[in-house]
Amino acid sequence: MGNTPSGMPGAPGGNQNDKDKKDQQQKKKWEPPLPTRVGKKKRKGPAAASKLPAVYPTTRCRLKLLKYERIKDYLLLEEEFVQNQERLKPEATREEKNEEDRSRVDDLRGSPMAVGTLEEIIDDDHAIISTASGPEFYVSIMSYVDKDLLEPGCQVLLHHKTQSIVGVLQDDADPMVSVMKLDKAPTESYADIGGLETQIQEIKESVELPLTHPELYEEMGIKPPKGVILYGVPGTGKTLLAKAVANQTSATFLRVVGSELIQKYLGDGPKLVREMFRVAEEHAPSIVFIDEIDAIGTKRYDSTSGGEREIQRTMLELLNQLDGFDTRGDVKVIMATNKIESLDPALIRPGRIDRKIEFPLPDVKTKRHIFRLHTSRMSLNEDVDLEEFVMTKDDLSGADIKAVCTEAGLLALRERRMRVTKADFTAAREKVLYRKNEGTPEGLYL
Amino acid sequence: MPEPTEFSIRVTSDDPKKKESEEKDTKEGPSKLKDDSKEGEGEDLSEEDIQLRGELEMLVERLKESNTELYRPALETLRTLIRTSTSSMTSVPKPLKFLRPHYPDLQALYESWPASEDKSLFADILSVLAMTYSDTQPRGTLRYRLLAASLVPESSSLSEPGSWGHEYVRHLAAELGEEYTYREEEAEDEKPASQDGKSPKADTPLIGTIDDLRALAKECAKFLLKHNAEPDAVDLLEELEIVDEIAQLVDDNTYSRVAQYMIRCVTLLPPPDDVSFLRTAHAIYAQHHKFPEALSLAIRLGDRDLVREDFNAPGNPLMKRQLAFLIARAQIPIEWLHPASSDDNADGDADVDFQDELPDDLLECLTNARLSTHFRDFGKELSVSEAKSLEDIYKSHLENTRSGSAGHIDSARGNLAGTFVNAFVNAGFGNDKLMVEADEGNSWIYKNKDHGMMSAAASLGLSLLWDTDVGLSHVDKYTYSAEEHIKAGALFATGILNAGVRTEADAAMALLGDYVENKSVPLKTSAIMGLGLAYAGSHREDLLTLLIPHIDDAVSMEISSIAALALGFIFTGSENGEITSTILQTLMERDDKALDEKWARFMVLGLALLYLGQQDGSDATIETLKAIEHPISKTAQILVEACAFAATGNVLKIQAMLHHCDEHIDTGKEKEKEKEKEKDNKENTEEKAEEKKVDDTFQTFAVIGISLIAMGEEIGAEMSLRQFNHLMHYGEPNIRKAVPLAIGLVSASNPQLPILDTLSKYSHDSDLQVAINAIFAMGLVGAGTNNARMAQMLRQLAGYYYKEPDCLFMVRIAQGLVHMGKGTIGLNPFFSDRGIMSRPAVAGLLATLTAFTDSKAFILDKYHWMLYFLVTAMYPRFLITLDEELNPLPVTVRVGQAVDVVGQAGKPRTISGFQTHQTPVRLGTTERAELATEEYIPFSHVLEGFVILQKNPGYEKEDKMEL
Repeated sequence: MGNTPSGMPGAPGGNQNDKDKKDQQQKKKWEPPLPTRVGKKKRKGPAAASKLPAVYPTTRCRLKLLKYERIKDYLLLEEEFVQNQERLKPEATREEKNEEDRSRVDDLRGSPMAVGTLEEIIDDDHAIISTASGPEFYVSIMSYVDKDLLEPGCQVLLHHKTQSIVGVLQDDADPMVSVMKLDKAPTESYADIGGLETQIQEIKESVELPLTHPELYEEMGIKPPKGVILYGVPGTGKTLLAKAVANQTSATFLRVVGSELIQKYLGDGPKLVREMFRVAEEHAPSIVFIDEIDAIGTKRYDSTSGGEREIQRTMLELLNQLDGFDTRGDVKVIMATNKIESLDPALIRPGRIDRKIEFPLPDVKTKRHIFRLHTSRMSLNEDVDLEEFVMTKDDLSGADIKAVCTEAGLLALRERRMRVTKADFTAAREKVLYRKNEGTPEGLYL
Repeated sequence: MPEPTEFSIRVTSDDPKKKESEEKDTKEGPSKLKDDSKEGEGEDLSEEDIQLRGELEMLVERLKESNTELYRPALETLRTLIRTSTSSMTSVPKPLKFLRPHYPDLQALYESWPASEDKSLFADILSVLAMTYSDTQPRGTLRYRLLAASLVPESSSLSEPGSWGHEYVRHLAAELGEEYTYREEEAEDEKPASQDGKSPKADTPLIGTIDDLRALAKECAKFLLKHNAEPDAVDLLEELEIVDEIAQLVDDNTYSRVAQYMIRCVTLLPPPDDVSFLRTAHAIYAQHHKFPEALSLAIRLGDRDLVREDFNAPGNPLMKRQLAFLIARAQIPIEWLHPASSDDNADGDADVDFQDELPDDLLECLTNARLSTHFRDFGKELSVSEAKSLEDIYKSHLENTRSGSAGHIDSARGNLAGTFVNAFVNAGFGNDKLMVEADEGNSWIYKNKDHGMMSAAASLGLSLLWDTDVGLSHVDKYTYSAEEHIKAGALFATGILNAGVRTEADAAMALLGDYVENKSVPLKTSAIMGLGLAYAGSHREDLLTLLIPHIDDAVSMEISSIAALALGFIFTGSENGEITSTILQTLMERDDKALDEKWARFMVLGLALLYLGQQDGSDATIETLKAIEHPISKTAQILVEACAFAATGNVLKIQAMLHHCDEHIDTGKEKEKEKEKEKDNKENTEEKAEEKKVDDTFQTFAVIGISLIAMGEEIGAEMSLRQFNHLMHYGEPNIRKAVPLAIGLVSASNPQLPILDTLSKYSHDSDLQVAINAIFAMGLVGAGTNNARMAQMLRQLAGYYYKEPDCLFMVRIAQGLVHMGKGTIGLNPFFSDRGIMSRPAVAGLLATLTAFTDSKAFILDKYHWMLYFLVTAMYPRFLITLDEELNPLPVTVRVGQAVDVVGQAGKPRTISGFQTHQTPVRLGTTERAELATEEYIPFSHVLEGFVILQKNPGYEKEDKMEL
């Protein structure tokens, strides 16, 4: 506009001006909007626009109900409005147009598309990316890419020739983490656990109830525990209890074995831990179960081995995730180990793991229960008196008892009998006990 | 004893299910071992459990025997066993678990017993046991409890429900609510219910009357109140519709929690309940001599008698002063404090007498007379009293303007923008460089032309805001100006600077009164509007007689609309019948052409403001409006309805507003199609387009109506933003342009990040109307916050729109708003911890937004002075602590983000992330302050505005020992 000679009188000038104005407006449309948050790390969680307001108080009362009802009312209004609008102004017409656009965009994208990582956004149209093959590229970003989705470190689709960014891969969760997610609940339930009543109660109080009834803790004015550690000699049902929790809960259940967190490359282990907790938080409420935590959670010591140090770093990341700077909402952690004394004290301090649940060897009553559980589906001969096995002074764990029962069944099977006899049980018990004490000379020095 | 039980029985409701599943498990198990497993269940138990079960079974057997002698001890033992039982929070108490199988037997047994005291005891125990059967036999607990109550002899009283533990009471409370609704429905269905056929239920209604239920409910409520479960108590009584009785039950420890909970509920309750909640809470506060709290509720109710009672209740003169400050802040007419005996006719004389009766000091507080001095001191304290120049606000060196184009803008527009920015930024300090401090001939006024001069002269009023002494003399010299616009501006300035303060001299009335009859239109409108602003919310009858003739001014729609609006300001929320009928009359009599004028919306707004917050009081008016055929009636209905339900959060009304936005969309589209297709048939389309133009204003107001209704209630306000998102997505241009305004209204002076982002997006909209409104909304949202992010966004916008004079003008004004009063004056219409809505403030905001619904015709045309409507909403965001002599008293206070703590356990902190300051301090919209020392006790419950402090007699200096 500045270029047009001023003071041109008459209608044509006016027209020119009008046209200019229009041009200007037209041009304005294409001027870049504010580079508000493009290229910066965004907060995790749902977008601010779609987030529902938080409701206080958390105690159960009418006020809370009313507030939730109010939110519901508004959502219903929204639904109604959107439906009406869709009815009055159907999407279909727009859809057609979109379809056309989309196919054109697909053409532009070409195929195949390479996958790269976005390293840095330079300006609105350019970015630095890196690909698995090594070098980093300075490439352009296509105009149809949703720039709000771009953030450093995200996976992007690249044009096969020009390497320009043609799309964003949305779900960047580590595939390793999705493996951890439990799709099928285990079949074991609390009913399958013999004894361990106090342990069940403790784990319920600290893991399940905070997720289902947070208001109970609120009313009491305490913060529910963040996690529990299950420890005890092998075969006492730690994993079984975790399975039962997974079976019972409707929360997302992530399970991982400590050794899985040890990765080949430097930094992968801690990253996996981070990812895991991130996924857990995204799917909150969730329970993270880390079995055999001693694989990574042993006491720190000076080590020259790089591998050793990496494991320790993995643990440090775990420490941070458990009680670090960022608060984790509805994520509960269950850990299991049979060597609690070897764990790093920082890992199991209160605030990270508030409850330590011991799994002792079963007492007589529990043993009886376990025997009954395992034999309830076996056909037993009349002469079998389980009481006899229950009352023996052997240090049988739950797993041992199961082994005895299975072994007895196998023995019976070997002889093609339909029923398990007492003799089978006695033999099985001998066998199991022998295996168990293998290597330790029996009663030599006593 | 109750403590362990309370802890233990918490989650019983979960467990019956579990048990059932266990039972199912055993049933599904292999048949072979069925008996074995049953035996096993017995063996499962520990020694004590077996013993307990044996004992319980023995007791049950004993009850079944014929020996009546043993009944009583057996029942007593049963009772103790149940009461003393403890178990974990995840399972049922053992005795209940063991007694559960016997429950049907016991029920049968109970029926066979003759009525006696023992039977009553038995019923009591059954009532506890019934908890375990709540899924199959609903309301069993309540039934037996009532039976027990009916059987109990006069001499002895039944044990309190609380003695059975917390869980029992909660259970009972839940059943009470159910039973009550059940009976209500029953009563509605009349007799057919008796044929229901369920015999146990058929006789249930016979036990106890509604009064019994209520008596029991009160007993439960007493227990709940004692055990930190105030919300439960309120809920229970509310369900039985006797919430007003809670005032008798509360004591010194619980009343504040109860009242706070109730207040918090108010905005979420359906209409009849919300007022009763407010009244009950008011009664509670009044009963406990918490006058400021009570008064603030009375103000919220808008109840003249309650306000007067509360104001006259305290004997302490200091407390009275504090109340006077509160009343002044709310701009309650002083006449309200007048005894009710006076008739409307006698008002004029009686007022004067009554004002004489009030002591001077009180009157001073009531009239806000020292607002200006305090505000300037406050400015000095924060070292912002130095006047700011335009460049300080624009900071154009930070703008990334393109080279050589800076001089391009229309300089008249630039100067006009400068006028407003200067006025808003230096508002109240009375020392700005452009107007007040400038020499006579050199004043900024002369840098403007025509109507620009009017706004420039009027800006003087804003600059000298609240300063009635010095201000008037400054303005005075311009009233003698030969230039009509300057004169009009000076008149308007007189009105502006009197906004929110009342003077004995009544200067505004004296100075402006004559000009109302002036022939000149600018002089007349500015005099009328000046009166409107100066006496906003005062309900003064003498102004009514002065202004009402102008509404049916036959000449110009402009004058009659402005008169209607001014009366709307003055009589906001008064339901004044005379004005209503006059406006309605005018609307009916005026010919269509006049009503088609852009001014009609202000007339309608004037009508709507009369009903601000009156809820159902507007029904009659809406009905009358329906009779008007002109399309303006629809706008009027929407505005009146929206104003009547302002800040109630009423979802139904919001739904109605949304429906209004639904309509006409397809016709609009059809027209578009038609336009495309039938271009040859030009006449037809034009006609239709015109029709559409008339039609769609009401949608614009419906959008603003949504935010008007939703504001003041956090959830609604937040959710309404989502609605706006949809409206923006689907709406026609007329809706889209209102959306930013609505957002601005709902979060005035409350710049939250998501809102800033949204508005920033809208401010780049391709529709310039939307963009302009969005920019203004950014100004509203950031008003008086000095928000740096906002300032930066606006600077970027200034660069972006450097070629668009309208947008640039708006950007400048928004910048001025953001730095309003140099960050000391806010626009939020809510005060007293966001609890009370200031009606004049809402009126001012609404009037400004109305001007923006057609910005091309008003603000961007020659009626930019309408921006000054905001003045009624402007109030300093300060906290000033005063000593007993009303002199400023610096104390340390903590200021932090307000936290909603209602209904939470214990005594959580009410603010988070606080900083300690010395008063006077400035408070953000979502901030709260609390005293950091124990040395003083504040008279007001909310530390905001003026707070009078009193020495704490029990205070001891902590560092005494050191010396």
